[in-house]
Amino acid sequence: MFLDLSEEQKLIQDTARDFAKAELEPVAASLDQGDDRSPLLNNLKKLAELGFMGLNVKGEYGGSEAGVVSFSLAITEIARACASTAVTVSVNNMVAEVIQAVGSEEQRNAYIPKICSGEYAAGGFALTETCAGSDPAGMCTQAVDDGDSWVLNGSKIFITSAPYAGVFVAWAVTDKDAPKGKGISCFLVEAGTKGLVIGKEEKKMGQHASATNEVIFDDCRIPKSALMGKLNDGFRIAAGELAGGRIGIGSLGLGVGLAAMDYSTRYATERSQFGQKISNFQAIQWMIADAYTELEAARLLLMSAAYRKEAGKSFAREASMAKMFATEAANKACYKALQMLGGYGYTQDFPVERYARDARITAIYEGTNEIQRVIISRDILKNFS
Amino acid sequence: MKLLVCIKQVPDLESRFKPDAAGVWYNETDLAFRMNEYDEYAVEQAVRLREQLGEGCELTVLSIGPDRVVEAIKKSLAMGCDNAAHIQDAAAYSKDPWQIASIISAYAKERNFDIIFTGMQSQDRGSAQVGVIVAELLGIACTTTIVNFDYDNGTITAKRELEGGIKGVVKLKTPALVTCQLGLNVPRYPTLPNIMKAKKKEITAISVAELLKEESLAATTSFHPPAKKGGGIVLEGDIADQVEKVIAILKDKTAVLR
Amino acid sequence: MKTLLIGEYREGKMLESTYELFGFAAQLGGESAMLMVGSESQLPAYGGTLYLADAAACGEYNPDMHKKLILEAVQIENPDCIVFLHSSYGWDLAPRVAVALKAAQVSEVIALADGGFEVGCCNGKMRRTVKPATAKTVLTIQAGSFPVLQPGGTPDVRKLEAAGGTTVEFTGYEAAEKKDVDLAKAEIIVSAGRGVGKKDNIPVIQALATALGGELGASRPVVDAEWVSHSHQVGTTGQTVSPKLYVACGISGAIQHLAGMKKSDFIIAINKDKDAPIGEIADVLVVADVMQFVPAFTAKIAR
Ligand SMILES: Cc1cc2nc3c(=O)[nH]c(=O)nc-3n(C[C@H](O)[C@H](O)[C@H](O)COP(=O)(O)OP(=O)(O)OC[C@H]3O[C@@H](n4cnc5c(N)ncnc54)[C@H](O)[C@@H]3O)c2cc1C
Ligand SMILES: Cc1cc2nc3c(=O)[nH]c(=O)nc-3n(C[C@H](O)[C@H](O)[C@H](O)COP(=O)(O)OP(=O)(O)OC[C@H]3O[C@@H](n4cnc5c(N)ncnc54)[C@H](O)[C@@H]3O)c2cc1C
Ligand SMILES: Cc1cc2nc3c(=O)[nH]c(=O)nc-3n(C[C@H](O)[C@H](O)[C@H](O)COP(=O)(O)OP(=O)(O)OC[C@H]3O[C@@H](n4cnc5c(N)ncnc54)[C@H](O)[C@@H]3O)c2cc1C
Repeated sequence: MFLDLSEEQKLIQDTARDFAKAELEPVAASLDQGDDRSPLLNNLKKLAELGFMGLNVKGEYGGSEAGVVSFSLAITEIARACASTAVTVSVNNMVAEVIQAVGSEEQRNAYIPKICSGEYAAGGFALTETCAGSDPAGMCTQAVDDGDSWVLNGSKIFITSAPYAGVFVAWAVTDKDAPKGKGISCFLVEAGTKGLVIGKEEKKMGQHASATNEVIFDDCRIPKSALMGKLNDGFRIAAGELAGGRIGIGSLGLGVGLAAMDYSTRYATERSQFGQKISNFQAIQWMIADAYTELEAARLLLMSAAYRKEAGKSFAREASMAKMFATEAANKACYKALQMLGGYGYTQDFPVERYARDARITAIYEGTNEIQRVIISRDILKNFS
Repeated sequence: MKLLVCIKQVPDLESRFKPDAAGVWYNETDLAFRMNEYDEYAVEQAVRLREQLGEGCELTVLSIGPDRVVEAIKKSLAMGCDNAAHIQDAAAYSKDPWQIASIISAYAKERNFDIIFTGMQSQDRGSAQVGVIVAELLGIACTTTIVNFDYDNGTITAKRELEGGIKGVVKLKTPALVTCQLGLNVPRYPTLPNIMKAKKKEITAISVAELLKEESLAATTSFHPPAKKGGGIVLEGDIADQVEKVIAILKDKTAVLR
Repeated sequence: MKTLLIGEYREGKMLESTYELFGFAAQLGGESAMLMVGSESQLPAYGGTLYLADAAACGEYNPDMHKKLILEAVQIENPDCIVFLHSSYGWDLAPRVAVALKAAQVSEVIALADGGFEVGCCNGKMRRTVKPATAKTVLTIQAGSFPVLQPGGTPDVRKLEAAGGTTVEFTGYEAAEKKDVDLAKAEIIVSAGRGVGKKDNIPVIQALATALGGELGASRPVVDAEWVSHSHQVGTTGQTVSPKLYVACGISGAIQHLAGMKKSDFIIAINKDKDAPIGEIADVLVVADVMQFVPAFTAKIAR
């Protein structure tokens, strides 16, 4: 067994870390506080130029062909500095990958290079609806065949990057009468298409720099060629791609958790109470030991899931396990880190409260952790019955 | 045109350094290594020249050291070097600048490089000797501490950084060697596709025994932390408390606060 | 020990740092002679032998020829040590002389050590003791590590003639950028280092400087990153300052920075790393995050 990273993986990790430290970290706090999103968009462009938007995408479409392990490492390093940037990069990669996996050659050539090069600031993944969150098969948005085009009606909610996405992968019901999950298809909708309306931006607890909006289809007419994959095969596509995205979100959680613990651990070695460094107290030492142990376990789960995907093995169960464990480890780490800073941790003078807010959503999006448990247990139980 | 850039891998300088068992250099355990900062400027400048000259130009990166230096070599390849020489030497750390320079010049001698780039010094050892010694051993022109570089038709025009912000402008005919100073350029990040493509570039491994014929001229007999200067006050702990103490000290010891 | 000291001369003037070579020689003991490529109108106040070549004929920067001149003097004097300053002139020339003599070179000596020389390493965090194994040794000494010593007297000048060509053609000097602040006159300087993190934090450091009635200084990376202009840079390639109070915020204390400010009357350093080398020369080292400490400090004095 070989647990070391290859030199290329180490270099990608170093590049992500150096870039994050130099470019992302200095703006992370002000992005969290302010309304000006231009530093985020600037950095997304630079990250695209470096090849971070298509880590697991083929070179012919402008990708880096760096693999899934590198993807995970990169997201973690980016998230250590700025979770909002990290989630955008993660979703962009997911969108590029889904087009590569199921798109036609024309669709791949039309969109993937634009995402990878940064010509599009982002790609959108439009699945969730008000009536269909954990249960996306229950969606209501409809696509109707109108001769040479499809007409979409309905609305999506919580769509990451919607105001600056150049293209959306969107799901809609194409066969109302089919059994649940068998009548949904997947489409590519370009920004600016008539009838595609970007709705209000949610005011969130964290990850402020990453926009999350409603996306409305109001008689939105798209060409026939915008159907991606087979008709009525959309739900399977969504489920498959989300599994890959989970590696990204788990890696994001890991990065935020590490940032929080690194900060609080240094703080503990500097802060004195009762005439000594608080790192001398066993209560603090145990927090450090527990959090770092869980984060290390999370890292190994993520590496294993990423390795399996990269090697072409089944990885859905492992990706769910890694996502669930890593995002919970991250939330616990943020809780502890904040606790270690005492009252200061609760103030915005220190970054830990931001980490805690940013980490929270990772247990919810890309499938809530309850849904991960459903997936994991179902996959295990099927071998017992 | 044939170009060579020489790089060294050094530990992250924010690390804590502990002497090794022999007490003559640092213990490498727990240290993270990266490319010497000065060498990043050298690689960037070499790559820019490589791009300027285009076809028919070949840029080789060389590093002496144990297996770990391959990561720094690959970074250089990803930044735009064409091929690499890894002089394998697990004991590179124990060699003096004279020996390191002898190894490089032995490698470079038959290969007739037109321009050689090195860092001005290494961050860990800081001798600022290797580049100049290589040039002297090869008998080629050399200038040091450059903060500006231009090349045109066999002539290098460089600006050397002198004390007090003054610069000295010099011209050299190739073959020549320059040592690169901080601020010469802004080194690029290697792009991910280039990191992956660099895998296909050739890294020639050469055993140091093939190139090293020289004994060391100076020996390090001890590696240790600086003697603590007495008198300095170290204030740790609570910020408000530190502020109070600093103000009290300033009032007591200086005339700046009244 | 017999030493040959290599004096420095630039833009028609002997550099004052030349006197540090005498300070070093005095500590080492034994006889010494000096060589300088300079001019007769700029002689060091020293009564010993001075090998003098004319800079007008030999160039102020002409390493090939200067090497030859030094080797000539070495031939006559047969010194044990040839001593340069660790400067843009010294570190450029010293290895050339060392190679010609196949002599060991020890760079940036900060002190004499039992049978060898003490030098800094790891960005000034650590020290090495180096012992040369050759009969002759070439040394470069760190600026500011040895006392300035003016022996007094008039040298016994022995002229050396220009000889040989050059592979490096020196075409002229470029003046330092215009200053928008004169740190040399400031009584209080508050300097920002890489540890302040980002350009947006510079105003916080500036605010402390203003509150104290002083000027803003900076370390080199802060200038290179264009957070502040070059006129604020303190150190060997910036300005040398000696204010009444110097406050170093997030500055590690690299040798080249220390060389520019260690003569300050009182030094306060703020650094999160208790082991940062700046602690060695600081009168007070505040172990804290700059962005925590400085605003609190400023608020207190402003009141
Ligand atoms: C910031 C942000 C960004 C987002 N980005 C995107 C995006 O880009 N694209 C996109 O399509 N979606 C996105 N989402 C939506 C996200 O994926 C959903 O919020 C998530 O899937 C949960 O759906 P819901 O909010 O409707 O919660 P619900 O499904 O209503 O769940 C509520 C609670 O019930 C639990 N629950 C539901 N079903 C079960 C069950 N069967 N067993 C046990 N517990 C259950 C859930 O775990 C949860 O605790 C984003 C959301 C946020 C907040
Ligand atoms: C919003 C807010 C409102 C507040 N309001 C008030 C108020 O109205 N009046 C008031 O007086 N104060 C108030 N406080 C201050 C609050 O009571 C303190 O923040 C709290 O007592 C913790 O102290 P500290 O922040 O200095 O943390 P620290 O004491 O520095 O603690 C840091 C960490 O070290 C741990 N620790 C410390 N000592 C030990 C030990 N011996 N063994 C094990 N672990 C230890 C702590 O549990 C914590 O995890 C307020 C704080 C906030 C954030
Ligand atoms: C020929 C030559 C000439 C040079 N000339 C000069 C010169 O004129 N002037 C000059 O300054 N340099 C000069 N240098 C560069 C010099 O060697 C150093 O690289 C430079 O001084 C380092 O600057 P720094 O201390 O700001 O940065 P670093 O060495 O990176 O140190 C940053 C410090 O900040 C601390 N820190 C980080 N974050 C925080 C925080 N949040 N709170 C508190 N502390 C923190 C770190 O612990 C560290 O000690 C020269 C180099 C050469 C080779």
